[in-house]
Amino acid sequence: MFAGRLIEDARFDMVALAGAVGSLALSSGAGVFADLRAASAEDFVVNGLRTALQDALLQRSPARLRTKRAGALVAGLQRYPNALASLVISHSAAKSMLCIGPLLAALAVAVVSWQAALMLFLSVPIMIVFFVTLGGVIRGKAELQEKAFGRLAAQFSDRIRTLPTILANHALQREHGKIEQRMTLYANGTMGVLKVAFLNTGIIDFFSALAIAVLAIFLGLGHLGLVHIPGFSNLALWQSLFILMIAAEFFVPFRRYAEQYHVKAEGEAAAKELDWYFDYSDATSSDPGNVTIRPCTVAGAFDATDLPAAGLIAISGPSGSGKSTLLRRLAGIETSSRGFHSLPQVMAEGCDWISTDIYVPAGTLAEAIGWNRNLCTGVELQEAARHVGLLNERLLPGGLNARIAEGGDNLSGGQRMRIGIARIMLSSGVVVADEPTAKLDPETAKLVRRILTDVAKRRLVIVATHDQQLIEAASRHHVLQPQSEAARAAA
Amino acid sequence: MLAIAASASGILLTGISAWFLGAVALAGLGPAALAFNFHIPAAFVRLFALSKTLGKYGERVVGHRAALLDQVKRRAWLFLAMAQAPATRAAGWQLGNQDRLSDYMEDVEDVDYARLRVGMPAAILLAGIALLTGATAWLAPLALIPIVLFSVAVMATLLRLMPAVGRQWTTVRSSQRAAGRLLGRALASIVPLQAERAFIGILALAFGHFNNAEAGRLAQRRLLAALDLLAGLAGPVMSLSVMVAAWQAGNRGSALLIPAFLGFGWLGLGETAHNASRIALGRVREHAAREGLEDWSTVTSAKARPTLFPALLQELTLRNVPRQTPNGIRLGEAINLTFRAGHATALVGASGTGKTTLLKQIAGWIGADNSGTFVGDGVVMLGAYRRAISHLCLHDAAILSDTIRENLFAPGASETECWLALAAVELDGRVAGAGGLDAWISQDTLSLGEAQRLNLARALLCDAPVVLLDEPVEHLDHDQASRILKRALSQLVNRIVVYSSHTDYAAPETIDISFGADR
Repeated sequence: MFAGRLIEDARFDMVALAGAVGSLALSSGAGVFADLRAASAEDFVVNGLRTALQDALLQRSPARLRTKRAGALVAGLQRYPNALASLVISHSAAKSMLCIGPLLAALAVAVVSWQAALMLFLSVPIMIVFFVTLGGVIRGKAELQEKAFGRLAAQFSDRIRTLPTILANHALQREHGKIEQRMTLYANGTMGVLKVAFLNTGIIDFFSALAIAVLAIFLGLGHLGLVHIPGFSNLALWQSLFILMIAAEFFVPFRRYAEQYHVKAEGEAAAKELDWYFDYSDATSSDPGNVTIRPCTVAGAFDATDLPAAGLIAISGPSGSGKSTLLRRLAGIETSSRGFHSLPQVMAEGCDWISTDIYVPAGTLAEAIGWNRNLCTGVELQEAARHVGLLNERLLPGGLNARIAEGGDNLSGGQRMRIGIARIMLSSGVVVADEPTAKLDPETAKLVRRILTDVAKRRLVIVATHDQQLIEAASRHHVLQPQSEAARAAA
Repeated sequence: MLAIAASASGILLTGISAWFLGAVALAGLGPAALAFNFHIPAAFVRLFALSKTLGKYGERVVGHRAALLDQVKRRAWLFLAMAQAPATRAAGWQLGNQDRLSDYMEDVEDVDYARLRVGMPAAILLAGIALLTGATAWLAPLALIPIVLFSVAVMATLLRLMPAVGRQWTTVRSSQRAAGRLLGRALASIVPLQAERAFIGILALAFGHFNNAEAGRLAQRRLLAALDLLAGLAGPVMSLSVMVAAWQAGNRGSALLIPAFLGFGWLGLGETAHNASRIALGRVREHAAREGLEDWSTVTSAKARPTLFPALLQELTLRNVPRQTPNGIRLGEAINLTFRAGHATALVGASGTGKTTLLKQIAGWIGADNSGTFVGDGVVMLGAYRRAISHLCLHDAAILSDTIRENLFAPGASETECWLALAAVELDGRVAGAGGLDAWISQDTLSLGEAQRLNLARALLCDAPVVLLDEPVEHLDHDQASRILKRALSQLVNRIVVYSSHTDYAAPETIDISFGADR
């Protein structure tokens, strides 16, 4: 407006200038405000989602969590909340703008020339038709690509995971070639999808450019007085410029919306994946891959309430008879099945668990042994370490200050087991051990047996084991039988 | 190229339209109306409209294609780089740090897309600014003042903003990764953690990291919003100042048309500047990603396996080979042993006593070339050579997500040979049931025992003169284990075979070397 008046009427319109500056300030302020609000809103959504996920994870049983590979689980937790938040906030905002924005623009134009506004409106149905058609094509292709991408990413990470094996088998060249080939194929496929997606945005660009062009020409003709089109002639310059500027603004929301297509796709995929985390439907069914619902010993059903307050209980049985499941139920972590209740003390406070996959924090040996225990003195830690022979371990020099790498990578299975055993000497609950003497050489195994029997004098120690000597040292021995035999016995 | 064309077209379109209208309006005021040839500008208007659209489309397609292909190259390169990193060979049967893998992939993406997100838009923007500034200097010098002021403001903001954004991004990155690592480890130990009721604590820790990351992200977006504000102001401010300056300079009437053209040109440029924050963020991410990727900087192309090596070796002698832990700490006395073809040697001992380490030393995977001597048929063999002539079957070997045939790693073997090998390890029934050699399997499809047997089949199909097996029949019950072991050893009778085992299977012709507990 300012410019128009300037040129045509040779008038320096202060009011218009002030108005321009003012509206500029207003729009910028509004823009920033909107950005900040959107950011806060997304943050809110993400945090809410993560909290819900945290709770959900706590309530899942380990067996259920194991059905998904850890890497995928973690990557999901990192990415899905953000993707979903973007969908909910940004995409929805763009959608709303799609309704409001053009309307406002058209109204503004109508103030000056309702015919021009009408022309703008006419272009909308045509664009919508294109949108819908192309949108359908994109969605189909995008889904295929998503699947292909999932496979490709899985392939790539699979190859990296198995890299030592590939090297051992002298297959590096071959695998490298395969990877490159598959990825190039995938890239070409992606290009196919992207081309269609860009076409969509391109159509909008085209229409907006076309609209401006046509308007410019009509208005120009009107100004020249060559053609008398109602609504386009007898306009001041500033009005024509005004129409042109606003016309451009009319199409901007469409373009912004189209650019959000991939946000929509990602967000919906994230939502679908997140459903898995919140799926409690299998809470009451038995865990996958597990046979016994009611653990059966040769002598009859296993009854946890029958366990003494102290003593060594050995549980053995062939592979597949459910020893591990039983241990987990005794520890109170498997979603309990009908009729099986563990000890009340265990249900309340948990127990001490010994196995090769115990959690070992990075740091010193002292920290590893003292983890999750009440505060122990250095002497107690020393004693515990000495008892399991970890103080002078050749492979772990440094005594209590021996360095343990992240994830316990520099520990062998036997060493981890011994850390677990050292831990039980620093606490006083029920002890549950899963194959404590496997992976140990004979001398250490003897040591461990001695410690377990010592501890069993004061506490309840439940062990799942194949070790004959340990079984003999036990005060009670249960032999589990696989489901098939139990069924036969019952029949 | 295309991008510049598109952007130029955009600017020109807006500019020309304005000029056109202005010219037309003025012309309409006077008798010049009839003489005014409006066709030419009108045609230009249409032309620029089209070229803008096409240019943008082309730019997007070409730009993305380049980025995607670049990604392919980089990922293949990353694969090679990881293969050559020494950590890979020292690691166990599969690379344990999986969580780091997705981190690397993210870094690769950030670097690849840098060109698309940062390079091109920034180049276009700068080119546009340069052009328009030049024109402004010529046409309406007074307008240069606000331009200079503005640029100073932008520079100052960027200088203050970018380090802060960079810091925030580092926080986000490291918090996310810390959370991922912690979670990964917690999930690996989930049963013990839940039994000890400690899972909730660790989960809280991990999610605490996640919250840090989110806070960082929020702070970052706030900073970038400020940048967007500034960028959004640029176009309109410039445009207005051009007009005002031209007026002040005394231009009136048609002399104002060119400045109008320029002013609206600035407006057109302002439209493209709304991406400023995305450019800034892209730059920050690229920078951080490049640093992260530097760990894998040493790489050469995959060397082909040397083809000249003896088909068979009769004798392999170890002299003064030190016994050591995987990290290189020496234990006990050095080893002096001789292995002979046809007399398979068993290394017997409990876990953790160094059997796997010795096998890897023989295979040339760990140990420097000056730690001990390996002599084969009278010739000293260095590490690289040993790597080429030995086949190492790793403990609990990994299964690739691929067909069974590919998993056998014997592209030169015929179908019959494959089936014979599978029969020897008693997997033929399982494979037939799964759909034959072209059935697709993954790590989870096979049980531990089946995977170990497949691994053994790989050894049966290889042609290396030295075969090293780490726990080849673990996870199998005793009878099946000794049966399969006997069969395997008889098939490999003309190679030098060394295998390790917990249990003593008393296979014929084996020499037991006990690895006692060395504490």
